[in-house]
Amino acid sequence: MKPIKFRMETDDTYTMVFSKKTDSHAGQFYMLSVDGVGESPISVASGFCNPLTFSIKAVGSVTRYIMEHRDAEIGLRGPYGNVWPWKGSDHIVAIAGGIGIPPIKALIEDMESEGNLHDLTVLYGARSPRDIVYRNEIEAWKKKLDFRVTVDSGDSSWNGHVGVVTTLIPGVDEFRKGRAFVIGPPIMMKFSVQELLKNGFSPENIYLSLERRMECGIGVCGHCNLGQWYVCESGPIFRYSDVMNEPELFL
Amino acid sequence: MIYELTRDDMEKLYQRISQEYETFGAKEELGEVIFSRISSFSEVSEEKSSYSPKDFLIKRSENILEVPRADKKAVFGVKSCDLRGFQIMDLQILNKDPFYTVRRENTIFVNFVCNEMCNGGFCTSFGGPVLDRYDIQVLHRDGKYFVQADDRYERFLTGFKISQDQNVFSRHSQEFLQRYGKIDLNGIEKRMKWNSKLWSEFASYCISCGACNYSCPTCYCIDVYDDETGRKKEWDSCILEGFTRTAAGNVRPELSDRLRQRFYHKFKYYKLSKGEYLCTGCNRCVDDCPVDIDIKEVITHDYDKE
Repeated sequence: MKPIKFRMETDDTYTMVFSKKTDSHAGQFYMLSVDGVGESPISVASGFCNPLTFSIKAVGSVTRYIMEHRDAEIGLRGPYGNVWPWKGSDHIVAIAGGIGIPPIKALIEDMESEGNLHDLTVLYGARSPRDIVYRNEIEAWKKKLDFRVTVDSGDSSWNGHVGVVTTLIPGVDEFRKGRAFVIGPPIMMKFSVQELLKNGFSPENIYLSLERRMECGIGVCGHCNLGQWYVCESGPIFRYSDVMNEPELFL
Repeated sequence: MIYELTRDDMEKLYQRISQEYETFGAKEELGEVIFSRISSFSEVSEEKSSYSPKDFLIKRSENILEVPRADKKAVFGVKSCDLRGFQIMDLQILNKDPFYTVRRENTIFVNFVCNEMCNGGFCTSFGGPVLDRYDIQVLHRDGKYFVQADDRYERFLTGFKISQDQNVFSRHSQEFLQRYGKIDLNGIEKRMKWNSKLWSEFASYCISCGACNYSCPTCYCIDVYDDETGRKKEWDSCILEGFTRTAAGNVRPELSDRLRQRFYHKFKYYKLSKGEYLCTGCNRCVDDCPVDIDIKEVITHDYDKE
């Protein structure tokens, strides 16, 4: 399959849109592949029934190859994994660091299609203004929901908040009875959890989307275990209270 | 039902099975016991094969863009510990890995129950060497072949003499246990310690060769990768550094982390997720380890004394 749209979000991050409709729900992933290069697990960036979208940072052989060969035939396998458990919760605080933002875009779209955007707050942290993905979407989201952006370090063009994403967490303590969804680099997730707990969120209401090496997506290859679970099979989203004692939870 | 067969009967049984299945067996070749094609029961060795028969269901390397083939194969002379390896693996990968699944469903394993404990073996710790689940199970003792089959394969035994001793397998099991004893697992899943010095001690002489994984009848992990001839799946090893490498980093950068993972998977994680230990006591990982790391030490180690 080939994407019908391809655009660069930043110097190393791109978005691909396919003509196929999304048959996954926010939080799930696909295995994307290029024959002769390999396969890679990628979270879905689009809501159910919307055109299937992936936003990808070029960091490995497959993701780099796709960026450099935009007409490449791409294999899609999936969807796999579980979904963000947003239904039945009072309020959701979704915290995304870096390239953790695509599954939160899917979450926004899924919640929007069911008229629940007023129940969502998004905290998004990027390294610098140049690293922000979804610039256009963010402007639209800010009008529709409580969407807050921060950068680790600003520049002359930046008028917004400066500081790591955890610095936005004290500002959402009014939602402490709701659920928090956290996705991003391991160190960011670790400190986000600490800050959430400090601000009164309970371990039962914090959910993490974990990244592990996944080669099959179906519980066969054995690479992605977190303790007794395979992240592809039982995750990628875990309730913090279920996994908080796993020494390998964060890198 | 337990049948009592003579050597000639075993040859007849072989003939019956070979009408429907391509036949393989543990066979002595150039001083080793390996699995290869056989044309009569007399070729089958009762010695423990040099390698586990894992390759019958999980190929060392194969192209996964091809459709799995349902070849009907019968493998004679598999040891109980090795067959049990498949039964344990089933819990995780059967009906998920299409290649494993189609082969599992089309392969008969004729397992031989050992009369003596192999050097270093500790199958009694895991209920061996008599299995309570089997395709066709054979006990060669007192000059007779006692044979029992799963319902699916009982038809191969019709007409043979029904044994007067219907307790011969359970008695053999008791006698075997009495003679060799067993290492008490003693709740190993609860006893192991994350920060035990055992992991770093092993790491100080392990050379990361992965032989323990390749020889293990329960290690099912595979590497999936592309090359110029297609997409491959190939036996992998959790001892190798790249096993958990991702864009975000590596959860097990140290060899001691990876050794601990191997033993935690075998004695804790699998027990928690599937209710079984991921080990059959075959001792193959010890036999094949070039630096003599002994998995039994993980079981017998006194973690509380550290």
